[in-house]
Amino acid sequence: MKKVLLSLAFLSTMAMLQLNAGEQFAMSDADRAMYTEMLENNPAEIYVEEGGEILEEALGGEEALAKFLEVSEKDLPKYIAGFPRYIAKLGNVVGIDQVLQAMQVSQGKEKTKLKSGKMFSMLAYVKSLANDELINIDIEADEHIKASYALGKVTYMTARGGRGLSCNACHSADIVGQVLRTQPLPDLGEVAVGGTWPAYRMTKSSLRTPQRRFQGCMKNALLKVIPIGSKEMIALEVYVATLAQEKGKKIAIPGLKR
Amino acid sequence: MKRRNFIKSICAATAVAAVASPSALLAKEAPKGGNLLSYDAAVAAITGGKAVTDSDKIKLTVPEIAENGAVVPVKINVESPMTEADHVKAIHVLSTKNGNARCADVMLTPMNAKGYFATRVKLGGTQDVVALVELSDGSFLRASKPVKVTIGGCG
Amino acid sequence: MAEARKSMIKFKPKKFKVGDIIKVDFIVIHPMDTGLKKNKKTGEVIPAKFIDNITFSLDGKAFTTMKVWETVSTNPYFSVNMKVPGKGKITVDYTDNTGEKNSKSKKLKPKG
Repeated sequence: MKKVLLSLAFLSTMAMLQLNAGEQFAMSDADRAMYTEMLENNPAEIYVEEGGEILEEALGGEEALAKFLEVSEKDLPKYIAGFPRYIAKLGNVVGIDQVLQAMQVSQGKEKTKLKSGKMFSMLAYVKSLANDELINIDIEADEHIKASYALGKVTYMTARGGRGLSCNACHSADIVGQVLRTQPLPDLGEVAVGGTWPAYRMTKSSLRTPQRRFQGCMKNALLKVIPIGSKEMIALEVYVATLAQEKGKKIAIPGLKR
Repeated sequence: MKRRNFIKSICAATAVAAVASPSALLAKEAPKGGNLLSYDAAVAAITGGKAVTDSDKIKLTVPEIAENGAVVPVKINVESPMTEADHVKAIHVLSTKNGNARCADVMLTPMNAKGYFATRVKLGGTQDVVALVELSDGSFLRASKPVKVTIGGCG
Repeated sequence: MAEARKSMIKFKPKKFKVGDIIKVDFIVIHPMDTGLKKNKKTGEVIPAKFIDNITFSLDGKAFTTMKVWETVSTNPYFSVNMKVPGKGKITVDYTDNTGEKNSKSKKLKPKG
């Protein structure tokens, strides 16, 4: 009985979607060129620069980060491009922001909240060190990342909430391109969510992180929001990043998004 | 509680203006800002009533469809030798339907070497963006382009 | 950090010679509040706060001035061209409607 109800909810949602090719809302080449050019003067670059300064002053910069992660500074960019990853001394699969928190603890300093402008800037700066690297999360590296990937996939695929929607309901290959609320639904791998977030969001005029963006989407889809830095949210980030990885996408921080 | 949030979400889900429509807010209260000026009044203020000629010497680049109304890229290139004797004196960026039609007034000099200016503007809805150009001989040229502003999206 | 307001001046291309025409880009973090929006939590109108005047100078001599309105995007971007006369310092002075004054400089270092 429950299954039937879920499918009914799903069908009515699909009816809400304008099932046209979304041509009138698809971006023209000329428009795309204009928006691509905007990447050269992205206000978020100022936050990225600020993040670098904070990292240097508060934690000792890339040198200290590389040392904490037990990699050489030369290998740091490629290593960063493999996040989220399992860090043995932290006993968990973690994001870059959580590594920075752990560094603060190890230096006897107060932890910067994950959900703070300071942390968003530092996160963006550190991830930008990996610019031009291929996203390279090794989901077979250990049992922890394997489990995280599996959990991420389940989180992505599970229909939940008032409308019985999952991430996949709107972002699967056969739905992508259709228009929801005047915007064509994006292929999360193709738009390289894993490589281009944190990004400057034009509708928010600020730097936003991928996890916050997922939360925003969940709110709109009437899904209970998953907490930032939680096991499920990190797992979701891992899974979504692999979608871009499969398409050979690179890191390009900061991104620029609607 | 759940129902109210559900309805709120539906409302949030449908047309969420990227920029509060100035006219909609005017209807509710008179804002203290004294900057509201219609397009026609703005042009009159700038030109002093002088003739304005549409010119293809102005290359105005804006998106056909703006992804959002808060950050609309605008690029203007005016063909000009930019010499002391013959240069672009000012580029005025305007919009036809914003409460304040003015966006920016850019006073150039020969040192700029090109009649170029770019910025990003807010558009309260679908309307035209206008480049009103003043040349050193006191004449005015104009170019305009429509921009469709989509209001909506998820998240 | 000494600077009150965060901003960036960029030259394009990064490497240029005397006599080249370069792009001078300026981005600044500024709310550009129109005075027409309300704080969603308190219901109070957010007062207008936007950059209203900008001057681009080379070694103290202004070469571009701008009058800016609240209709320009938040965290605005401004771009003009400039013919490089030689070594010098580009300064962008900007004020906003509340009287706040700021300045950002960048050295102009042409190669040859």
